[in-house]
Amino acid sequence: MQIGKKSFEIFCGTGGVGKTTLATARALQLAENGRKVLLITIDPAKRLKELLKLEDAEAGEVVSVHFNQTVQLDALLMSPEKTIQRMAGRAGEPHLSQNKIVQILSRPYGGMNEIFSLVELQMQFESGKYETIVLDTPPGPHFLDFLESLNKIKAFFDQSFVDIFNYLGKKKSKLGLMNRVISSGVKKLLSYLQAVTGAQFLDEFVEAVQVIYGSKDAFLKGLALQDKLKEKSQCNWFLVSSVEQGKIKEALDLKLHAEHFIHQDHYLLINKCLEKELSSWEPKDSNLIHLKESLVTKEHDLKENFKKHFTYVLEFPEVLELSPTEHLNFLYKYWNHYELQS
Amino acid sequence: MGTTTKLYIFTGKGGVGKTTLAYSFTRYLRNAGVNAKYVTFKNQSLSENHNDKSEDTTNFGVPTLILDLEDSAKGYIEKKVKSGMIAGWIVKTPFFRALINMVPGFNYLIFLGKILKEIKHGENNPVMILDAPASGHALTMMEATQNFQQIFESGAIFDDTKKMLAALLDPAFTKIHIVTLPTLMSWHEAQDLKTELIKRTPVEKTIVLNNCLCLGLPKTSEALPKALEQKIANEQQLVDQMAGEFVLALPHSLSQTDDKIQQDILGSLEKLV
Repeated sequence: MQIGKKSFEIFCGTGGVGKTTLATARALQLAENGRKVLLITIDPAKRLKELLKLEDAEAGEVVSVHFNQTVQLDALLMSPEKTIQRMAGRAGEPHLSQNKIVQILSRPYGGMNEIFSLVELQMQFESGKYETIVLDTPPGPHFLDFLESLNKIKAFFDQSFVDIFNYLGKKKSKLGLMNRVISSGVKKLLSYLQAVTGAQFLDEFVEAVQVIYGSKDAFLKGLALQDKLKEKSQCNWFLVSSVEQGKIKEALDLKLHAEHFIHQDHYLLINKCLEKELSSWEPKDSNLIHLKESLVTKEHDLKENFKKHFTYVLEFPEVLELSPTEHLNFLYKYWNHYELQS
Repeated sequence: MGTTTKLYIFTGKGGVGKTTLAYSFTRYLRNAGVNAKYVTFKNQSLSENHNDKSEDTTNFGVPTLILDLEDSAKGYIEKKVKSGMIAGWIVKTPFFRALINMVPGFNYLIFLGKILKEIKHGENNPVMILDAPASGHALTMMEATQNFQQIFESGAIFDDTKKMLAALLDPAFTKIHIVTLPTLMSWHEAQDLKTELIKRTPVEKTIVLNNCLCLGLPKTSEALPKALEQKIANEQQLVDQMAGEFVLALPHSLSQTDDKIQQDILGSLEKLV
């Protein structure tokens, strides 16, 4: 199987499947083949951070990584805080990073990681420095979290919503919200919400929305990027699953929903496969027969099911090397089973 | 049972067996005479054309609460504004949907509030076993309460958030079990998560190693395939090295059904109480 060279490669998946390691290994493979690569990752395990020499202090900054002294690539550890500062700087809206709500939400676990990683992807693409940007998306409880974040941005800039805030935002002074003349529907809504959240919060939320609107170009460009990501010629999508947690239902769900977001030409990765190593094993002991069943049959059924629903299924073996360096070494060499299209 | 704990949170990366363990532990407590209830979340953002409801049901013979975000949010607002119609209208407005979806930690406030209410007002002193979403998100849950404490300075949510925070910070009320697999990578992830949780709450946090092939493997003179032998040796090394750092290591179960797997581990869960 050959995989085309694209401007973007996006790795999606639930936590714990080895998504970050596979994305990193892929970035190394591309770099070794002479591509100028940026790896954007979020929340990698400490060991991987050490391996890439990414220190927490450098979060949000692009650093140059030399792996095994031979392969060179750039890496960026996402920091929502830095992303929003950069956005604020570009938009000439220093208020953006000063608003209390925006600040709290852009803490590492504030919950806006998906949206910011898309904005970051766009900003880095615009720099024109890279032939391929590999994005390791934040782990979600669900495959689709990242994809859905694209829709969240869209909903946020929904026209009817924009109108309300343009209306509210005409005065930037800190007048009490309720004192402003606003349409009766909005007024009613806000008065009810006020009873629940307190007036202070609503004022600050509206302010947060206004300053985010001030930087809306960055978000809207992020949205425009979505179209590129939908094009076969621009982007490879890698959906990562693992034998340990392979759930057929999830894969079917994914198949159903993914079509709205991504092109047909996507790859399903199954990580931590053991079947090849175990298929020739013929245990005699009945307990061992059960053991083989529980390991091999489950894996086999999972793969067959995935293959029914996905055109391209890529298998990666369970890596038994203990040191993280050897681990990564093994995986990035393994990626060469899937050749780069010239 | 000699425990005051009202909320057990099972967290960890996806696919490590949280759900199995959470259900099994719920069954263990019920067998011991505790009114334990399994709880989890679904639909963590507000999608369009939403008609889903929270479910109060029974799974594996265990009372099960599956909370839906929109349904829970509506219930919360309904209580505050004292009208189901108004609450229904509010949760459908673009403003509210944007608020919830752009501010994802918000959903955890709603879920947590609902769980605490259940503990406080439910019949026969219920104990809740929370099957929490994958690890980054469990931290979002912890941090959300703290963040929102700072965001809201007054109002009903402020008071409720205060109560939630108090519960999540009370070692007599809450316990957290981090579930992980016996590989080095997973172990470090669990430890990273524990470190992050230590910064945020003083409640007891333990690590549970699940699905260990190196434990309870039948004694046999038969040779195992090299890969399997290596995998088991790696696991054994980890279990020996980290002894004392985890509260419990559970064997890989050869059973075929979820129900049977839960029963297999039931007997060894006393340490999680």
